[in-house]
Amino acid sequence: MCGTEGRRRIERAVQSRGLDHIVIGACSRRVQGPTFERIARELRLGENAVAFANLREGCSFVHRDEPAKAQKKAETILAASVARAAQQSDLKRSRTFLQRSAVVVGGGIGGMSAAEELADAGIEVHLVERQQSLGGYMARLSKTFPTEDCAMCSLAPRLANAATDSRIHVHTLSEVTAVSGPPGELRVRVLHRPSFVSERCVACGRCTSACPVELESDFDFGMAKRKAIGRPFANAVPAGFVIDFRGEAPCRSACPVHTAVQGVVALVAQGRTGDAYELASRENPFPSVCGRICPHDCETECTRGRVDEAVAIAGIGRFIADQVESAKPVAVPTAVYSVRAAVVGAGPAGLTAARELARFGYHVTVFEAQPEAGGALRFVIPEFRLPRELLAAEVARVLAHGVELKAGQRCGADFTVDSLLAAGFQAVLLAVGLQRAGSVPLAASGRPGLATAVELLRSQALGEPIPVGRHVVVVGGGDDAFDAARTCLRLGAESATVACPEDAAELRAEADLVAEALEEGVEVEGGLSAFEIVGAGAVSAVRFRKGPAGETVELPADCVVLATEREIDEEFLSGAPGVRVVAGQIVVDRATMMTERPGVFAAGDAAATGPATPIEAIAAGRRAARSIHNYLRGEDWAEVWEPARPTAEVADADLSTGKPEWRQPMPVAAGPGRRRSWAEVRLGFTADDAVAEARRCVACGGCSECRSCETVCPAHAIDFDQEPWEEELTVGAMVIATGHREFDARRKPPLGYGRYANVITQSQLARLVSASGPTGGELRRPSDGAVPKRIFMLQCVGSRDQTSRGNTHCSAICCLFATVHASLIKQEHPDCEVTIGYTDLRAPGKAHEEYYRLVSTRGVRYVRTRFGELIEEPDKSLRVRFEDTVTGTKAEELFDLVVLSVGLEGSDGTTQIARVAGLQQDAAGFLKEYHPKLRPVDSQRAGIFLAGTAQGPKNIPDTIAQAKAAAARVMSMLSSGFLMTPAEVAWSDPAVCIGCGVCENVCPQGAVHVVDDGIAHAVVESESCRGCGICVAECPSGAMTLGGFSDAEILAEVTARA
Amino acid sequence: MPSAARTGGAVAEPERFATEPAADDGERTIIGFFCRECAYAAADATGNARVPLPTTVRSVLVPCTGRVGPLHVMSALAEGADGVFLAGCLEGQCHYREGNLSALDRIAFVQRLLESVGVERERVQMFTMSAADSPRFVAATKRMHATISALPRLERR
Repeated sequence: MCGTEGRRRIERAVQSRGLDHIVIGACSRRVQGPTFERIARELRLGENAVAFANLREGCSFVHRDEPAKAQKKAETILAASVARAAQQSDLKRSRTFLQRSAVVVGGGIGGMSAAEELADAGIEVHLVERQQSLGGYMARLSKTFPTEDCAMCSLAPRLANAATDSRIHVHTLSEVTAVSGPPGELRVRVLHRPSFVSERCVACGRCTSACPVELESDFDFGMAKRKAIGRPFANAVPAGFVIDFRGEAPCRSACPVHTAVQGVVALVAQGRTGDAYELASRENPFPSVCGRICPHDCETECTRGRVDEAVAIAGIGRFIADQVESAKPVAVPTAVYSVRAAVVGAGPAGLTAARELARFGYHVTVFEAQPEAGGALRFVIPEFRLPRELLAAEVARVLAHGVELKAGQRCGADFTVDSLLAAGFQAVLLAVGLQRAGSVPLAASGRPGLATAVELLRSQALGEPIPVGRHVVVVGGGDDAFDAARTCLRLGAESATVACPEDAAELRAEADLVAEALEEGVEVEGGLSAFEIVGAGAVSAVRFRKGPAGETVELPADCVVLATEREIDEEFLSGAPGVRVVAGQIVVDRATMMTERPGVFAAGDAAATGPATPIEAIAAGRRAARSIHNYLRGEDWAEVWEPARPTAEVADADLSTGKPEWRQPMPVAAGPGRRRSWAEVRLGFTADDAVAEARRCVACGGCSECRSCETVCPAHAIDFDQEPWEEELTVGAMVIATGHREFDARRKPPLGYGRYANVITQSQLARLVSASGPTGGELRRPSDGAVPKRIFMLQCVGSRDQTSRGNTHCSAICCLFATVHASLIKQEHPDCEVTIGYTDLRAPGKAHEEYYRLVSTRGVRYVRTRFGELIEEPDKSLRVRFEDTVTGTKAEELFDLVVLSVGLEGSDGTTQIARVAGLQQDAAGFLKEYHPKLRPVDSQRAGIFLAGTAQGPKNIPDTIAQAKAAAARVMSMLSSGFLMTPAEVAWSDPAVCIGCGVCENVCPQGAVHVVDDGIAHAVVESESCRGCGICVAECPSGAMTLGGFSDAEILAEVTARA
Repeated sequence: MPSAARTGGAVAEPERFATEPAADDGERTIIGFFCRECAYAAADATGNARVPLPTTVRSVLVPCTGRVGPLHVMSALAEGADGVFLAGCLEGQCHYREGNLSALDRIAFVQRLLESVGVERERVQMFTMSAADSPRFVAATKRMHATISALPRLERR
């Protein structure tokens, strides 16, 4: 019927009998529908004149063994179609405009070939590629079958052409996120991801040498490492470098000051400790705090923790803090503003803010009540936890920024906030901290043998320690209590007991601190609430209540230390009208850190934003400095609270499953010897330990934001401020050439891929035998770099597979892919034995069979194989058991290298475009064509065409042929001058429509809009409507109808069939 | 899957067969509304593979199962069908966003309607499949045939 004879019969019938409808009783409408619709159109019967009776697929084909019933069913089907035809009326179509441009998705050889043809025909092409460079899989191959010509040699001119053709607009690092509109005027949204390198890049490569981050090279299929900045190959298009930033590393997100932890670790791994120190001090002026007194949330979030154990970030941080001497001297910032700012309090918050303000370009003066700077770090944290000289060096680096320190000046006594403002300071930051010990209900202070922890620690820090007696009881359970107890031991006490109300197993103090204190001989008594201090004059004991019954317990002591919470000392408030302290905290606006008095800010422990640890005080200092900057400039120049950024996410499957490598333990001085020593307890990593530990980092964030590249780039091309952006392109047509991905051989655990070093894929082998590959073309097996003498190639991995773990299709290229590699190896290493274990050898295609014959004469052994088992030997060679299915014999052989010929399946990019463009995929993820034989490059959506392995497995020549065919289809469509809108579209009757808008909500194309020109009613954009009919079924008023599928048509068919 | 949250109905599992033998009171008539994006393609593939199917099922091509309303299903039952089923795209894979989920809602509604007038709810069902999954289409068709054959003919007054 669909041939010329059938057409002639239809013509004759229509003309001789004056027919107005045709019923075709033949194949499914999906097969030849458009053919008959065109005939009807040409016979001037209009749209919708044909009804189809599916007598073939729908009846005779499936009822071959029941002819009588099939005959009866066929009659019913025909009757139903005739009834339907009677209800079918002509449908309107209109012309649409054609944009003379196209989007080609996918920049492999298929996409490039299509783009080139289209550009040659004068059509503007947007070539959209996800990766950094055009080239796709072909760029990664060594030599191609059946000619054994170099892949790059034939690809490079295509790349150069795409780069230089003015009609081809290359968009790399880009993907299509939405497709809407009718063919001819497709609206394609394209998301551009940032490269973080501007067009100034001259590809000199200095950044790559400077980059400390090593990542698996995707381009080399993981056979080599690459840096986080660079380009995959020398001919890359575009030629510029790209930074592979995958999101903020979780360690950095977890850090209150957002230290670029991964960068610090990477630099240590490279032995660049000086650079690491500078990086660590970029956000945080006190790297010594990291690793010593920081709760290191970074380690909790570490991605490596999902493999075995988190990287010992604190230990590495400590190691680099010790290298402060090797850091470069501070680059003194130039004061760009004449404005002066004052900071009250030289603790971590105050000094951090001072440094940041100096960096912004202000003159900063820090006022400190104590004779030295450092605050709690200097006067509360004992020196066996944080060495004084290290802190002094870091304070000196802060002051080297041009910050003036006025020590021994008390706010409220020696000066006031008012006096500062009067003296010309335009902003004042109160970072006064918590200075006073909390009130003591037990006894008045000043009694001999009674002290608070703050007094004790400060007196020791000032070099005039309070005498502590022989037996000390510390009341309290926080960090201060343990610091005090350990200080007492070092001051000569014979025993020190920490008595606290909470249970000994649930102490508030950090676990490491408690453990170290216990090692030194500190005793802990839990569950005790102190109520009386005994002794006339001098202290003799403390009485506690224990447990719910409240029994009295007495601990003898000649010294009692009360480790109460520290409190704010309100002395600074005198001469600071407008600044209020409520509930022990300075009232501030959380968004700006400003107190109720304009120009006066507060940060740190004393402010109502309430940080608790030194690292959080540092973070608060940074926020305060940014807010003061905004205040002084009168604009929002800096974000006070850093917005959360997307964190890098790594799938479990992408984390190594190799043997666990446990973290380096932190060496600690022996407990008994150190109890009288002021030397630091934790000894820190040696350089070797630190490097070994740093190498455990999995670099989950990609680029670590260490900015080493920025420092060395001579062209100033690095631009970390780039953001992703979207644009909408309006084009006439699209070509989808999104390619394939390889079957993941880890889905077949018996093959050992991913576990055994010497089991690789053909693509990985391609990199090993490629002159531009990681070995420079030298064949080396991964485990030991030896040249393999015996190689086994296993075919059909994940292809022609009836199990649920593989794909059923034949991947078409693998037999020859293995053959070309075997041939290359035999030519280079004639003594190397290569065995190809195949299922069936398939070499269709021009000159393919001849090539296979030629290679088999080169000594490559082809064995028709059923795979049995693969065992790794101690020397990492592989024992393979298989059956020769020609002779029926079983064999067990030893190989140096096993190469898996993994199959092809639809790529992730293919799935993505299928989703956004509404294309269909088959079970293996390949895109479905409109008709497998007759319209092989048309997708199921008009105006979108298919090319290359996105449509199915195929070799390079077939890909190029299909790409050029797709380009030809685009040309024929765009050259037709205009397109007709589809006939089968929805239409709303304005006389019936109630304007409720249900249709507008349910339309998947956004093609329906409710307009109000006096009366609200729905209007369908017929060029965008794809005729699904959801709106019709949802319409409550019955105003909406669908051309070709009206209720009358469907009901006529249903009624006749039932 | 959004379906659990928004639909009251459940997609039938084609692999679970009803095994009761057909009552001997004549052949049943079943109307299948097949989505052109998936089930109709799967039906064509089944035909091309010459897989035998029960002759009771008669197909009606629709652009999307979302086009099918209660009117169509009830008309089919009123005019002589013993059972009706919809075959659409897999959940989350509707070519028109959520047409299959709307259809599922409506099928659940029709089932409740039928039950309220004493008609077995399983006379109306919905199946989902991909265009590539001919075996699932065959299973759905056979299951529907088995289910309806095990029920008496639908009485109308």
